[in-house]
Amino acid sequence: MKHFRNNHLHLLCIAVFFLTCACEPFVEVDVPNDRITSVTVFSDDATAREAMDGVYIQLFNTAFAAGGNQSVSFLGGLSGETYTVTNAAPEMEAVAGHQLEATNSLNLALWSGAYNTIYMCNAILEGVADNSNLSRDTRAALEGESRFIRAFTYFYLNNLYGDVPLITQTDYTGNALKTRSPQTEVYDLILEDLNRAAELLDTGYPDNERTRANRFTALGLLARVHLYLENWEQAESYSSEVLAATDLYELPDDLNTVFLANSPEALWQVSQEGWGGTFTHTRDGNLLIRITPTGSPVSLSETFMQDWESGDLRQENWIGSFSSAAETYYYPYKYKIRYDASAGALTEYSMIMRLAEQYLIRAEARTRQGKPEAAVADLNAIRERAGLEALVYTPALTQEQLLEELMQQRDRELFSEWGHRWLDLKRTGQALEVLDGIQETDLLYPIPEDELLKNPNLTQNAGY
Amino acid sequence: MASAGRRALKQKLLFNIHDEDMKNKTTRLTGVALPGLLCLFMSLSALWASASSLQNQVTGRITDTNDHPIPGVSISLTNSNIGTQTDMDGEFSIYATPQDTLRISYIGFKSLLLPVGNQTSFRITLQQDITDLGEVTINAGYYNTTRMEQTGSIARVTAEEIERQPVTNPLAALQGRMAGVSIVQRSGVPGNAPSIQIRGQNSLRNSFGDSGNLPLYIIDGVPIDSAPLNSFSGLTDANTGGIDPLNTLNPANIESIEVLKDADATAIYGSRGANGVILINTKKGTGGKQKTRINTQVYTGAGTVPRKLDLIKTADYISLRQEAFANDGATPTESNAPDLLLWDTDRYTDWQETLFGGTAATTGVNLGVSGGSALTYYNLGVGYQHETSVFPGDFNYNKLTANLSLNHRSSDERFKLQLSTSFGSDRNQQFDGSGFVSSALTLAPNAPALYTDTGELNWENSSWSNPLATFCRESEARVQQLISNLSLSYAITPELEARLSAGYTLLTSEELVEQPIRFYDPALWANARSRSLHITAGRQSWIVEPQLNYRNTWGRFNLDALAGSTFQHRKNTALNIVGTGYANDQLLGNLAAAEQLSATDNTTQEYAYAAAFGRIGINYARKYYLNLTGRRDGSSRFGPSRRFASFGAVGGAWILSEEYWLQSLKTFLFFAKLRGSYGSAGSDQIGDYGYLDTYSATPGGGGLYPTQLTNPIYSWERNRKLELALELGFLNDKLRFNTSWYRNRSSNQLVGYNLPAITGFTSVQANLDATVENTGWEFEAATHLHSGRFNWQASLNVSIPQNRLVSFPGLEESSYATMYRVGEPLNIQRLYRFTGVNPETGLYTIEDVNEDGVYNFDDRMVAKDLTRRLFGGFRNQFTYGRLSLDFLWEFVVQDGQQFFTTTPPGRLGAILQEDYDRRWQNSGDEAGVQKPSQGIAALIANSRFRSSDGIYTNTSFFRLRTLGLSYELPAEMLGINSCVVFLQGQNLLTLTAYRGLDPQSPGTTLPALRMLTAGLKLNF
Repeated sequence: MKHFRNNHLHLLCIAVFFLTCACEPFVEVDVPNDRITSVTVFSDDATAREAMDGVYIQLFNTAFAAGGNQSVSFLGGLSGETYTVTNAAPEMEAVAGHQLEATNSLNLALWSGAYNTIYMCNAILEGVADNSNLSRDTRAALEGESRFIRAFTYFYLNNLYGDVPLITQTDYTGNALKTRSPQTEVYDLILEDLNRAAELLDTGYPDNERTRANRFTALGLLARVHLYLENWEQAESYSSEVLAATDLYELPDDLNTVFLANSPEALWQVSQEGWGGTFTHTRDGNLLIRITPTGSPVSLSETFMQDWESGDLRQENWIGSFSSAAETYYYPYKYKIRYDASAGALTEYSMIMRLAEQYLIRAEARTRQGKPEAAVADLNAIRERAGLEALVYTPALTQEQLLEELMQQRDRELFSEWGHRWLDLKRTGQALEVLDGIQETDLLYPIPEDELLKNPNLTQNAGY
Repeated sequence: MASAGRRALKQKLLFNIHDEDMKNKTTRLTGVALPGLLCLFMSLSALWASASSLQNQVTGRITDTNDHPIPGVSISLTNSNIGTQTDMDGEFSIYATPQDTLRISYIGFKSLLLPVGNQTSFRITLQQDITDLGEVTINAGYYNTTRMEQTGSIARVTAEEIERQPVTNPLAALQGRMAGVSIVQRSGVPGNAPSIQIRGQNSLRNSFGDSGNLPLYIIDGVPIDSAPLNSFSGLTDANTGGIDPLNTLNPANIESIEVLKDADATAIYGSRGANGVILINTKKGTGGKQKTRINTQVYTGAGTVPRKLDLIKTADYISLRQEAFANDGATPTESNAPDLLLWDTDRYTDWQETLFGGTAATTGVNLGVSGGSALTYYNLGVGYQHETSVFPGDFNYNKLTANLSLNHRSSDERFKLQLSTSFGSDRNQQFDGSGFVSSALTLAPNAPALYTDTGELNWENSSWSNPLATFCRESEARVQQLISNLSLSYAITPELEARLSAGYTLLTSEELVEQPIRFYDPALWANARSRSLHITAGRQSWIVEPQLNYRNTWGRFNLDALAGSTFQHRKNTALNIVGTGYANDQLLGNLAAAEQLSATDNTTQEYAYAAAFGRIGINYARKYYLNLTGRRDGSSRFGPSRRFASFGAVGGAWILSEEYWLQSLKTFLFFAKLRGSYGSAGSDQIGDYGYLDTYSATPGGGGLYPTQLTNPIYSWERNRKLELALELGFLNDKLRFNTSWYRNRSSNQLVGYNLPAITGFTSVQANLDATVENTGWEFEAATHLHSGRFNWQASLNVSIPQNRLVSFPGLEESSYATMYRVGEPLNIQRLYRFTGVNPETGLYTIEDVNEDGVYNFDDRMVAKDLTRRLFGGFRNQFTYGRLSLDFLWEFVVQDGQQFFTTTPPGRLGAILQEDYDRRWQNSGDEAGVQKPSQGIAALIANSRFRSSDGIYTNTSFFRLRTLGLSYELPAEMLGINSCVVFLQGQNLLTLTAYRGLDPQSPGTTLPALRMLTAGLKLNF
């Protein structure tokens, strides 16, 4: 026993000791080759700008902005009854029938994508704040663009869900238990962000690519926000500022060029670079264009297809049709490419904001401020481009008639884009009257049930 | 006295084995209540003790057949509880009368009864007993043990139970064979990874690609990454779970599989032992002066889907659809009713028969050669397996394996070398068919023909998606794996041995999916491009484990100590490329011919792991055992400040049957052991780099996006395991009972902590401040009887697991508040309460618990536990002469989702005939299934029903898992050692109330096939 203690046990202990000491450095591993630490990202201008590029590119892969079947454009189109669901697709049918449930996965995807975008913006805002490694220009540009995209995202959350949690930093420990903030507070943040963005951002587009926000994009969104807030005067002045930038923007005569990449009408587009080079089509085009009877889950609804003024070029150019033996289906044909896996250049971009809306915003703001003549001029810019006769202003034209015509033009012009009709019907209080089988509580989408389950501090909207 | 002893010694009495020949009497006692008998015997022996008479001192010396003294042997008198034990020199003395009989017993040796008579001194030689109690070596990983000596819980399955089963994955052969080990084959597609859980679900993370419940796989001492490989083809979907890395092993080349379960057995694996450890040992040569042996095995057979559903036929289907439109007051249109308007309403196809009604052929060939000299010997094996599928079309699975083991020892036995290498290569040709079985179950019975008259795929004017289109999307997955281990040991002194074990593994996996334009409806061809998807993955690892082993004996005190360390490094690489736009289908898959390439994934991940471990096993008189194991390890998966942690366990065993006061029971109670263990093991089974705050590249455009939320301070998950077990062997070990009770408490769980999406992500890597408890009972019984040429072996194992959330501080304020409840199992589903079909509206109804007029989570008050409540297996082996019958029943008691086709009644698609028959038709009907309807109200009612307890049912099953019949031909005449012909059946019969395809994996994956194979085994 003694013998053992003196020799072998010591040997064992020494061996174990040495072997343990060797462990510490051994378990160090390098950062994997597909990642880069966030400290490195914000250590110089080039990579910091790549992080900003990432936000834009991911917009294409983020449900709410992508134009696919979980996007604001699509779900808004269902709720606004622009679309009729033609295939068996229970969750879409529920949205179209104003029977949305809190468990709806499309709704969850939209919500989650929006907050993922907000996270990315917050991460950049934190990364550039007081960061002496970055140039002043980079800091300004990145702050302005991040604030703009954050405001843009909150605008939709606010309008689709009502009160929403206001997330302005990345620390999940605080964010996870956030309560919903009143819509007014969310609007305060939106305005603060947009005003700051308008100060920080340049007026041009880098490399002439309209996929990044600039000063006018921020102003255009400011015009829209003030329109929604019924601050007519500001809505008019901001949209006027955009409309005055004629060196950058114009309404192309040919309707078939409006949705092309970097079209002169575009204030802001999202590029399909996010496909990773595999496809060149937009998600909108892929989802909506029908070339077989079941090739798209929806078609343009009967109500939408009614009451087109004859000669409206938009009907001719922006609506496509597919006829099978017994039926004809209509679909939005703003984007012309349904599917393209060629290596070719991207010819279309998915439109987010465009000049026509600015005319319509100003027309409405002017109408509301009692400037019908100026309003008619703006309206006519849209009508004439669509091949319709210009309205002739007469004092007999009532504000009501003018507003009705305005809403009609908004519908015909902006259909299938970013849920305009759904939001317009809601903000003007017409939704309950115009839409079928809808109740007061259907005006707000439900907070996804998943979120309620994970955050006990969230409350549900009435009716869900 | 001493002179008398010497005189006796001269007599040199040598006693040989006197088997206590109780066999015939005792077999009849099998059913007797044992505890009662035990008490009776105890009290009787106490009586006898008080009645001792005139006594002489009797002395003796006990040795083994090599004349080495055996200390610790029990010597007792058959008619009293007096007893003693031999000392270090194997000597004993005891007082006895001439009428007494000495009972001499020692574990691992045959017992002996000696009448004392006038003799006062004995010289006794004990013969070793070749029972598996003390002889069969059980692999405990870093050391070996025996059933007698083991202090931990280790289950073992040997070659004879595995080698004849026509399975691609060795683990699939273990179903139902081990207590506490739950194995679920999730799909009948060859190569799919089965899911395996040892003693319940410890971790909340249980999804494909992120499972925290995988055990540690160790093949011949080399750890293998147990995570399934990703696949683009039908091999991967949410329910199946990828390609199993163990597929490249040859089941016929496995000597044994040991599963380590409790703390005592797993703590030496430290951080990786929380979910249990599976040790796979390949066949080695046997050594000794053996002649060269050749063994071959060939089998061939066929498999089919064992069960098809009774789906609605065309006539009923058409009336169901018309009824739906009538109920809705709607007119069918082309897009919502092509079945009524466009398709032939008289046509009928049995889609199940057409799409998965084929026969899968399987063939296996194995060849083994072993031989060598006494000091150097080898075992070489080659295997080939071929399996086709039950799907139409030419899809198959091929596997080629080769293994070599080489053993050498120096003539002084101080140096030993063991090399084992196994190489496996498989090729799995499948198609992207994850939805294929589901199509067969939901296609309308009058859906169009698959082919046109000209033999082209029929798209029926684009009115349907032809299910065979996926056949055009062929996939070929090849996996090659090399596993090699070299172990060198040198005995520095007889007591001290140094050992170096080094292993290297290399796995490469390549998958090519070809998607020609033919895959699409011709209407889309103008825009379509052919594509090819290429997945390549590599896993490379090395491990070095230097060890020192010290073994010594001081009298009755035995010590076995081990110290070692581990250095392991693994590098996983992945590259996924998509090639688009091939000019010609002939070139499809050749990336150089693609118009465009894009890399969708390119990653390299490293994992480094280092540890020091030790074990001290001591026993006193081979009666009292104490086993201390510990490990300190560090893993690169944790943040720099949290890398290292220590784990350890203590295990003890007491062999009651060696106590002299139980010797009188020896004929009845042959072996009794009480053992227990307590300790901790951990888990580092999380993704690499979770602690890093990183950005990744966007798929295109050169941007960066944040990869994940980061938490640099998460640390080890800890699983504290407690076990108590009683092992009994009755009637000369003919009848065995083992009972164990365990309690595993897993705390500080590593989870992707659920976060609301408002945080930007849905989870973050973190430790969950909750304690999850898995407790359970495991029972094993085995018997072995033989009479003449008849031989019967039976074994039963039953596991009764239970899972519970023990504590969760702050649950109410956390993101788990609505998901879990303290005191209830983790795997609960919160459901609505189903209240039947409303006789008036004809729609499913659920209870509005809080009567607020809306149905939401607050109404989901039914908690349904979906864990297995009881499972086990019952194996029987009958041998009569040369004929042998072996079968295994597997049984599982569980609840699960009853099968409903995904089509709500009345919509486009088939439903079960049974559901059609019990549908609501008229106002006032008390129906089981809601009214056929296409409307939204019916759709919503149906979706709520599917979230209610109404679709849950008992999905228990009782399955004849394997059945083998073999006959050994009188081979001597042919000049060969042995020749066995066998028939082997798999999944021949299943009894269940579940009405879907397979209660084992509810849903729409391909069920485990019913197979019948015939084979021949020859040994030269």
